[in-house]
This record gives sequence, structure tokens and C-alpha cells, in this order.
Amino acid sequence: MARFIVRRLFTMFLTMFIVSMLVFAIVEIAPGNVARNILGAYATPEQEKSMENQLGLDRPIIIRYISWLLGSDWQVSRRLGMPVKEIVISQGVVERYHQWWAVDENGDLVQWDVEGGKLIKLVRQPDGSVVQVLDDQSWKFDEDGNAYFWGLDTANRAALWMPGQEGTEYRLEYSGWIEAADSPVDYIPMSKGLLRGDAGISLRYKRPVSEVIGRRISNSLILAALAFSVSIPIAIVLGLIAGLNEGKPVDRLISLGGLITAASPDFATGILLIMIFGMWLKILPGATVFLSETAIFKDPRMLILPVLTASLVEIGYVLRITRSSVVEVMNSAYVRTAVLKGLSQRQVVLRHVLRNALMAPITVIMLHVNWFIGGLVVVESVFGFPGLGNFILNAALYKDVYAIEAGAMVLIALAVGTQLIADIIYSLINPRIRYA
Amino acid sequence: METKKIHPLIPEAQEELRKGNISRRDFLRISTLLGMSLASAKLLAACAQPPASPVATEAGPAATVAVTEAPKAGPVRGGVLRAATRVERVDHPARFSLVSQSHAWRHVFEYLTYTDPKGITQPYLLEKWEASDDLLTWTLYVRKGVKFNNGQELTADDVVFNFGQWLNKDVGSSLLGAMSYLDASGVEKKDDYTVVLHLNAPSIFIPEHLFQYPAAIVPKTFGGDITREPIGTGAFTMAEYVPAERCRLVARKDYWRNGEDGKPLPYLDELLMVQLGEDRSADLAALQTGQVDTIIEPPVSVWEAVKDDARFEVVSTPTSATRVLRMRVDQDPWQDNRVRQALKYCHNREKILAVALQNQGTIGNDSHVAQAHPEYVDIPPFPFDTEKSKALLAEAGYPNGVTVELVVASDWPESMAYAQALKEDAAAGGFTINLKTMPASQYWDGWTEWNLGITWWAHRTLAPMLLPLAYIADADGKPVPWNETRWVDEEFSKILKEAEATLDLPKRRELVGKLEEIQKERGSVCIPFFMNVWKIYDKKFHGIVPSPEEYAIFYETWKEA
Repeated sequence: MARFIVRRLFTMFLTMFIVSMLVFAIVEIAPGNVARNILGAYATPEQEKSMENQLGLDRPIIIRYISWLLGSDWQVSRRLGMPVKEIVISQGVVERYHQWWAVDENGDLVQWDVEGGKLIKLVRQPDGSVVQVLDDQSWKFDEDGNAYFWGLDTANRAALWMPGQEGTEYRLEYSGWIEAADSPVDYIPMSKGLLRGDAGISLRYKRPVSEVIGRRISNSLILAALAFSVSIPIAIVLGLIAGLNEGKPVDRLISLGGLITAASPDFATGILLIMIFGMWLKILPGATVFLSETAIFKDPRMLILPVLTASLVEIGYVLRITRSSVVEVMNSAYVRTAVLKGLSQRQVVLRHVLRNALMAPITVIMLHVNWFIGGLVVVESVFGFPGLGNFILNAALYKDVYAIEAGAMVLIALAVGTQLIADIIYSLINPRIRYA
Repeated sequence: METKKIHPLIPEAQEELRKGNISRRDFLRISTLLGMSLASAKLLAACAQPPASPVATEAGPAATVAVTEAPKAGPVRGGVLRAATRVERVDHPARFSLVSQSHAWRHVFEYLTYTDPKGITQPYLLEKWEASDDLLTWTLYVRKGVKFNNGQELTADDVVFNFGQWLNKDVGSSLLGAMSYLDASGVEKKDDYTVVLHLNAPSIFIPEHLFQYPAAIVPKTFGGDITREPIGTGAFTMAEYVPAERCRLVARKDYWRNGEDGKPLPYLDELLMVQLGEDRSADLAALQTGQVDTIIEPPVSVWEAVKDDARFEVVSTPTSATRVLRMRVDQDPWQDNRVRQALKYCHNREKILAVALQNQGTIGNDSHVAQAHPEYVDIPPFPFDTEKSKALLAEAGYPNGVTVELVVASDWPESMAYAQALKEDAAAGGFTINLKTMPASQYWDGWTEWNLGITWWAHRTLAPMLLPLAYIADADGKPVPWNETRWVDEEFSKILKEAEATLDLPKRRELVGKLEEIQKERGSVCIPFFMNVWKIYDKKFHGIVPSPEEYAIFYETWKEA
């Protein structure tokens, strides 16, 4: 068993590795490129080039992939000839603000800027303020005698300044294009890499992906866990009752109910439930309003309708599969034998029918875990629930590549993880199944 | 009456009022813009009006309310207002280009002036202002004793710093286009509480521009990101700000304005603003089941759902807010005015108003001047005539019609409905319109760059305030930052400049009429309608002011105990 789990985990990491490369490649070959998707189709070529340069998108895809996976700080450190360091500070209402600084020979944290052709070193003081020091002696010269300097700028990028041939930096702000002179000619965005816990900066939120996505994952996990713990027991019990009473009125009733809930689209059930319980009876909140991060713990009632909506669909599916599985098992030879040898109905059901009939529902349930966490876009949208599904959908619409990557990684881990759990449960239910 | 000198234009305006050329409201607007206090202006207006005229028109609605409703107890302190809105990504307030970016932050940062719902502009962070006779020199007197929430006092240095930010090209504020009459070098600090503006061209709009949503006053030490330095003079402090999710504002104890009970504002303890998903589809359910108290900037669908609901106060205001179909005149096929005209002929305006707004608005004539503007001249739009459109296209070299891609933000239902109605009707006129829909956030990220798109435009009080934002060039001849169509017309710019400096309303109306005609004939936008806006909130709340600009101002809002 242990070997099996290790092998499964290995497969998981291999899958994640391959998928991460695929996502990178798809974004690369998809019509247009990331810069274009940010800028819109009508940016000038200079603006597009400047944006690509600033995001480091003009570097080869292999280098970009390696930077995403392993970070770019060690590459930058080599260029600068001094170590670099990421510090996290809290300022204003931004709880965690990341800043990259180089560490000079005195142990001071430094960044650079160029103003009017002069190189200026920004030295961070222990109290967080910054002192500007003229650093013109630090220019380096290439074989043609042209001055250049690799340093860190104030926007978390390694930058190459070359006096005399300053690039013009174009930034697209909400109000339009902004040009800045005295700008570097090349950039490398700083990152630690996914393997060291830095999933990159979201192009859409301009914040670290890991900070944006973390809450979404936990919200979705809570929703899914609740929906499962409600729907699965109900569905299995009802499916069992229906299957054991095949053809009788109770079976007809349950089957019909299951068909209706499975066939009703979740947005329709969701809105119907809001209208009944929220607006007419006025006993339940009709939306999940996250007035604080922990709102669902303070007012768990607002989870009832989303959980119910998601559960109804799930109950329908699992119920019908359980029912047909039970019917099949009930007609099998070993059940007939068990009945004929005089076992009580209770014993037959618990020891022989249930175990064998549960295999199919468990497969379906485990396959649905992933769908529940990543695919509940409709339920999330109807109730305004800040979950992972909406996050990934919007990331894809915006082509926010690092956010898509992070979402993909989470879903793969979940898919492989739930499959692993399913396999373990199979072997517990059916001792004939052995994994080596 | 005040003993100090009265601006010479005020008696002129009083004369116009006497002759009936301008309304009392217009007179009040003009005289307060010129630095007169509202009380004095009202007195002058009363002098100018014939005794028989109904003096109570202005006070009318307020008086009826007072009569019909039982006398209400004064404001109560405490409570939380929960509002559904968008929580936008922000950095520099001067760079705000969406009203929704200002909803939360205007409770932290304040403005030098305040334009009330009737369009009268009053001093706010300024004590008063004075304009020279030629309208070229403006003296702003900064209010004394106003403190930022870090204890620093507001002085002329801060005001000069803010003007510097607005007029700095590198900051990229839309105010740069609006304040085309001013250079950074023309802003002079006279003493610690006095700032003098030396204008390049006469203008009377300065006080109104100072209340535009990007003109929020930051301290002189400001570094460029309000989320990192939320230091303003407002009545609330920002406690939490998570873009696209929520923010929390907490009342400050030492705010400079007092409430009716003599204690510092605000009445509320906290403001909570929350965004329910990218498309805000859960807003209505949240309001109806009592999870939020108000929806800021509600769409027409919300109005329809709650207009007869006794639990909610629904206040409707006509505006000059609209959805502008903008054509890039520096790109094919819109370089040719005949193609632009052809598309204008494809607009079935009554139908668009009906499907997009359930008729909750007014018809537009493709000029960015609305009936809500005092200068509006009723110029009928091009009729709906697809044959004419086809003929124009053929003339322009597209005998077989033309295929264009229209970019629409899927979160704006009016824009979507407008786009779909136009797509159907324009097919007969020779336009094959492919719709490209995307989330509003993505639309905004490239809004000045689309070839053909439908942009959301907010209300502005006066037409000559709005038009310079998007339809002129800057001093170097380059289109101003918000000129999304790159359309620059010499005659139009000239008349607009003249209109900006014209105080006399009948004369200004004449000029604006010419502007409307030019924009209709050869302009770069189609504007089929102007929208009504609504304030919709739980009746437990009081003191929420209607705003054609859709500003959300909760400084004096209070909740029944």
C-alpha cells in the first residue's frame, strides 16, 4: 500500500509538471500574446514591446518557465554580483507587501534609480525610510566603452540601465498610456519560483497569486465539504431504498425525484431556492456576502442555500447510480445464494449488497470532487460566492497566466488526491482489490 | 449682503435672471461658482425675481416631504451600512477613471469643493474662493484646522502638491484634459492658506472640476499608492481593502465637520463595501434578503425588481451618463466620416432605449450633450434609415457592406442590449457587426485602444466640462489621454474653448448647439440614449443624497435605531 501511495504521488508530481509546461505552451501559442491580451489589440508596437520587456516576456520561453518554477532571483544575483533578498512589509491597508532589495558589501539593502543620467543608490534604513546616494562610480563599461549597470529598480524588477540609449517605458494605467523617460533597456521580474512557494504575480490583481488564490481554495473546500456531507449520505440511503424496492411505488417516487434534481440546471434551482426561502419565506439569506474574511463562520446560515443547490444536483446523480448498482447486485447469484441459505434481509443488505453496490457511486463521487471545487462556477455566480471556479474562469478570460497555472496545479493535486482516496476506499470495501 | 466686492459678472447674471433668460437654479450655480456664498446668492435671486413668480420652486420638493411625512427624529449615531458595489484596484486617486474607484476612497479622501445634487457648487476643504473680473486669476482660500488622519494639518502646500499631480503628464490624470486652462507653473502658493491660480484661458469651471472624482486631496508627502498610504482628511479610515472582494471603513473620532447634534461626523460607525463576484449577479438577492442595505450604481434590472417594493427607498435622477459607441477615427474604416454617419443612420433609438433601459432615460443625438445639461439644444438625431446607410457606405467605397468587430463589456447589461439591437438593425444597413464580449475589467484595461467599442461614460454637470475630456487635443496637438476615438476637429475645439469661457447661458447654449451639430454630423461617437440613475436603499437609512454623478456619499448617513 505504501509503495502504491508513493507511486501515485510520483505520478501526481509528474502530471503537474507536464500540465504546467502545457499551460505555458498553450498561452504561448494561443492567438495573440500575454502583453497583447493586457494591452488590447490596438496598442502600438513600441508600447507592446515595452510591456513585454517589463514583464520579462521577451525572454525565451524556457527561461521564463524555469523562472516560474525555480525563481529568477539567483539569475539576477549572478548578474548583480551581490545577493538579493525579498522582504515582506505591511503598510497602509496592504497587509503583505513584497519588496526585493540587493544586499551590498556593508549589509545594507539597496535599490537603484537613474535620474538625468545619474545613477542613484537607494539605501533602505532600519526604520524603513530610504536615503538616496549618488552612485555614479558604479557604472560598468563594455568592450566598446559604453556604460551600463544591472541593478534592482523600485518595482521588483532587475533592470539594465544604459545611459545615452535609455528606453522609454510605457505603462498602461487606468487612464491611458504613460511614458517615462530615463528608463532601463531590459528587465527581469523578480520571483522565487513555484517550488519555493511563490506562484508569481497575478497580472489582473497585481498581487501575488498565492495570496489571492489561497482564500478562494479554502472557501471552495468548505462549500464542497458541506455539500458532500449533506448529499452523499442522503443519496446513498435513498438509492439503497429505491434499489431494494425495485419497481414499487417508493422506487418510482425516489427515481423520479432523483431525475428531477439531476436534470434541473443548478442556476434554476439556485434562483428558485432564493425566491422561496429568501424572498417569500424570508428565513434564509439569498447570497453569500463576505463582509469579512470569516463571514461564513459568523453567519453559517448564508451557506445553506448554496450548499442545498449544489447538493440537489449531486443527490440526483449519486442516487440514480446507487439505485442501479443495488438493483444489479440484488439480481446477482451470490445475493440469491445468501437469501436462500437463510440469512436475514438485514444481513444480506449490510454484508453483501451494500459493499458491492457502493463501488460505482464512490467512483462517481470521487470524480465529482474536482468538479465541485473547480466547476461550481454557476452556483458561485448565483450566490456571489468567492470561490475557486469563478477565479479560474476570470483568470482564463483575462489570460492571467500565473493565475491559470496556480489554478491548474490545485485542481491536478485535487484530482490525483481524490483518486488516491477512492482507490484506498475500494480496497477497504472490497478486500479482493489489492494494490502493489 | 456681503460688504466685499461682488464679481462684475454676477449683476449681469442677475439681469439675465430678471429677463427670464436663465432659471433661478442657473443663477445660483453661476454666482456660487464665482465665489459668492449660497445665502447671498439666494438673496440676490429673490431680488431679481418678479414677486408673482413662484419663489418656492427650489424649496418645493423639500417642503412637500416635510408636510406629508411625520416629523422624524434627528439623526441617530451608530450602526453599519453594508453596500454592494465594485471594489476596484486603485493606486493614485488622480488616476481614477471609474466612479466606482472613488466610492470607498471618497470617505477617506475629500475634495476642495462640493457640488450638491442640484448642481450648486459650494466650498468644502476650501473656505471660499474668488475669481478676477477677467476669470483668469482665481484665489483659493484653504480651510484652516482641517487635519489628515495622521494628525498633519491641511495647508496650501498640500493643495499646490495636488495641482502638481493633476497637471503632471507622468501621473496621467484625466484632470489634465479637463483643466486644459491651467499649467503647473500657474499654481502659486501665496501664504500657508492661500493658493492663486493663473489661468492660460478664462474658465468658470474650476470649482466644479475640483469636485470631479479624481480630484481627491492627498497630503504633500503622498508617494503614489493610496492603499499603502491611506492618509486623507475624510471622516473614515480604511481598515481593510481587498480588491474585487471587499473593504471596511471605520469612523474617525476627530473629523472636522460636525453633525446636527454638534458632535463630529460621521453618524455611522462603519461602512462595509462588498463585491459579489465579477458580474455582481448576486447583488439583487443580497438586497432583497437583507444582506446588504444598498446597491451602489444599480443597473436598470435592479430598479425594475424593487421599484414597487415598500422596503426600499428608490430615488430616480436623469443624468448625462451614457454608453458611448466610439469609433477610432485613426483606424479603418472609421477614418471616413461617411462610414461613421452610416452607422449613426443604423440606430433605431426608440427601440434601443426600450430594450436597453426599459425607457428609463432620454434619447441622444450622437453628441455628448444631454437634456440634463443646462446648455442642451434640442437637435433631432439622424433618423433610422438603413437605405441611407447603405448609400453612404457605397459612397465610401464599401458597396458590399463592411464587417466590424464591436467590443462590449459583458457586465454592462445596457451595453449588451444596445450592441445586440444595433447588430440586428445595422445588418440591413450594410454593417456586419461581430460582438466581442469580455469582462468589464478587461474592457477597461484597454478602453482607449479598441477600434470599435461601447464605453461607459459617467455624468458631468455641464457639457463644456465633459467635452474637453474626450474630444480635443492637448497643447502638443496629441489627443488628450481620454480621447478614445482620437477625433480632433479644429472648428469644434475652437467653439468649445469659447463655450468654456462663456458665462452667459443663452450665449453658451448657442455655442453648445453648434457643438452638438458638429458632433452629430462628423463626430466619432454614437450616443443613442442618456440614462437615469437611482439610489436604492433600505428605508431604515436616511441622509443618502441623490447624485447624477452616481457618487456614493455616506458622510451624513444615519440609521434608525
